[in-house]
Amino acid sequence: MSEPLLVLDNVTKNYGAIEALKGISFSIGRGEVVALLGDNGAGKSTLVKIIAGGLEPTSGRMLFEGKEFLARSPAEAKAAGIETVYQDLSLCTNVDVVANFFMGREITRKVLGIPVLDERAMEVVVEKALASAGTRIPSLRTNVEHLSGGQRQAIELNRFVHWGGKLVLLDEPFAALGVEQTRRGLDMIRQVASQGIGVVIITHIMQQAFQVADRIVVIRQGVVAGDVARNKTSPDAVINMITGETLAGAGPGS
Amino acid sequence: MNPRTRHALEFVLDNLVWFMLLFVLVVFSIFIPNYFQLGIFANIIEASSVLGVMSIGLALVIIAGHMDLSVESVAALSAMAVGILFCSSGIGLGVQLHPEWLMVPVSLLLALAVGGLIGAFNGYLVVRVKMSAFIITLASYIWVRGLVLVISGGRSAQDLAPAIRWFGIQRLIGLPLTAWITIACFVVFSLIMAKTPFGRHLVMIGGNETATFRAGIRVNRNLIIAFVLAGAIAGLAGWLLAIRTSGATANLGVGLLFNAFAAVVIGGVSLKGGVGTLPGVYAGVLLLSAINTAINLMGLPANFTQVIHGLLVLAAVLLDAFKQTIRQRLA
Ligand SMILES: Nc1ncnc2c1ncn2[C@@H]1O[C@H](COP(=O)(O)OP(=O)(O)O)[C@@H](O)[C@H]1O
Ligand SMILES: [Mg+2]
Repeated sequence: MSEPLLVLDNVTKNYGAIEALKGISFSIGRGEVVALLGDNGAGKSTLVKIIAGGLEPTSGRMLFEGKEFLARSPAEAKAAGIETVYQDLSLCTNVDVVANFFMGREITRKVLGIPVLDERAMEVVVEKALASAGTRIPSLRTNVEHLSGGQRQAIELNRFVHWGGKLVLLDEPFAALGVEQTRRGLDMIRQVASQGIGVVIITHIMQQAFQVADRIVVIRQGVVAGDVARNKTSPDAVINMITGETLAGAGPGS
Repeated sequence: MNPRTRHALEFVLDNLVWFMLLFVLVVFSIFIPNYFQLGIFANIIEASSVLGVMSIGLALVIIAGHMDLSVESVAALSAMAVGILFCSSGIGLGVQLHPEWLMVPVSLLLALAVGGLIGAFNGYLVVRVKMSAFIITLASYIWVRGLVLVISGGRSAQDLAPAIRWFGIQRLIGLPLTAWITIACFVVFSLIMAKTPFGRHLVMIGGNETATFRAGIRVNRNLIIAFVLAGAIAGLAGWLLAIRTSGATANLGVGLLFNAFAAVVIGGVSLKGGVGTLPGVYAGVLLLSAINTAINLMGLPANFTQVIHGLLVLAAVLLDAFKQTIRQRLA
């Protein structure tokens, strides 16, 4: 196998006296979908934020495409090609769908040398992106505050699919979605991965993890408690890793 | 509800303050003798030029989710700086430049620089040091006014250089150039807020700062620029104020902050941040000015103005809440 996309090497994070991550090591390959599982408070969101540039690790190092990597801000991570969908949604509800889709990456044209928002061009792109994902939103010009939780999550999902990049981090992206939308979301993830993009998805639902992931990584109390290929394990074994009851063949390593 | 009525209703809600302004003008025109004349309308615009400019800066910072209480004192300091240099009596030094028109850009740059510097100071403390904007700018409101008292010794400067005063005297289509400056500022900043990435980012930062940070927008940089702009714009307001009064006194512009606040809130800017437009703010400014003019014409004691402004702010806040409920129904 070629070199991994992202390597985490003994990454730790302390919040004051709390050791949220006690030394996390695993890697993600190109085009690979890794499901990150673990109980509430295991440290999954903390890990995602460290990769995404929202938090600095206390110690440890990361390699991205073989090079030493540390994003000091989300902008840096984005520039490196890392897209993130956070657990608490990151939409500005006071502006419309188009503005959210292009947040920070607006299409502009120069008028007298001044960058001016090209609303038409942006609207066309959003329309296309949402249509191809089968997401229906009455008007792209309504403020997001008027949309349902499912519609909001759909916007975020479509956003990462559109921008792509090299690595996508999804922190419980389907929490507000219905059955049909979730199925579509999982399809999107496979489709993104098939383009060679690495995907890390955090979920609480075992079935989703087994549906979409190539590998399952379990975090328990800030350490990796299991790292196994999906086709070499079972939901029961994974549940035991999450809760800490060891079971033959489900322990760390692989 | 059919889409037509819904659109109409949304249009009314979005532009409510303009309708209120129209309503007030019509009512005053009908019931107050001598109100309905072009001169009065020109007067309403003219009288609100200083307040208008100041409201722009305040609105920018509030839309971005922060606060700037220092704009009034900053305007006073800028006015005093211009007054001391370019006034010929009182504490004025009567500095002369040749050619005379050179005093215009120099005094203007001075006013903008004084304002921009204090804005940068506010912005730095609020954004980088992460202190509360309310506290920091309240402190600036106090110390900057103190500085005005210190440099003026409590005295005033009179007789501003004619080359600068020209802007308050020369008229174009019935309005002095100072009023046109205000209108131009509203046009320019309305366009910046509505049409440029910078304006869009300020609105989004005011709506959800975390989301914009995660999206890679340079939140701190944008916010500091907003504070610098608010300061510089307040400096411009001070320049206009110096022209208007042909000089500067130590208590110049006292009370403007609350009027600016009222105008901004009446104009539909939410103190929560992320909501409001500058055309709305201008309507708010004109509404206050229209009411002041009516109070003058009716010969009511000027003290009434304050009571009415207070009630207007209250009404505006209630109206804002009311609009929110209607919007929720519409959604
Ligand atoms: N900002 C923070 N300050 C202090 N402790 C935190 C903070 N964020 C998370 N934690 C703690 O770190 C641990 C891991 O949290 P988190 O990464 O959110 O877990 P998960 O996403 O797996 O549920 C928890 O014990 C949580 O209480
Ligand atoms: Mg979490």
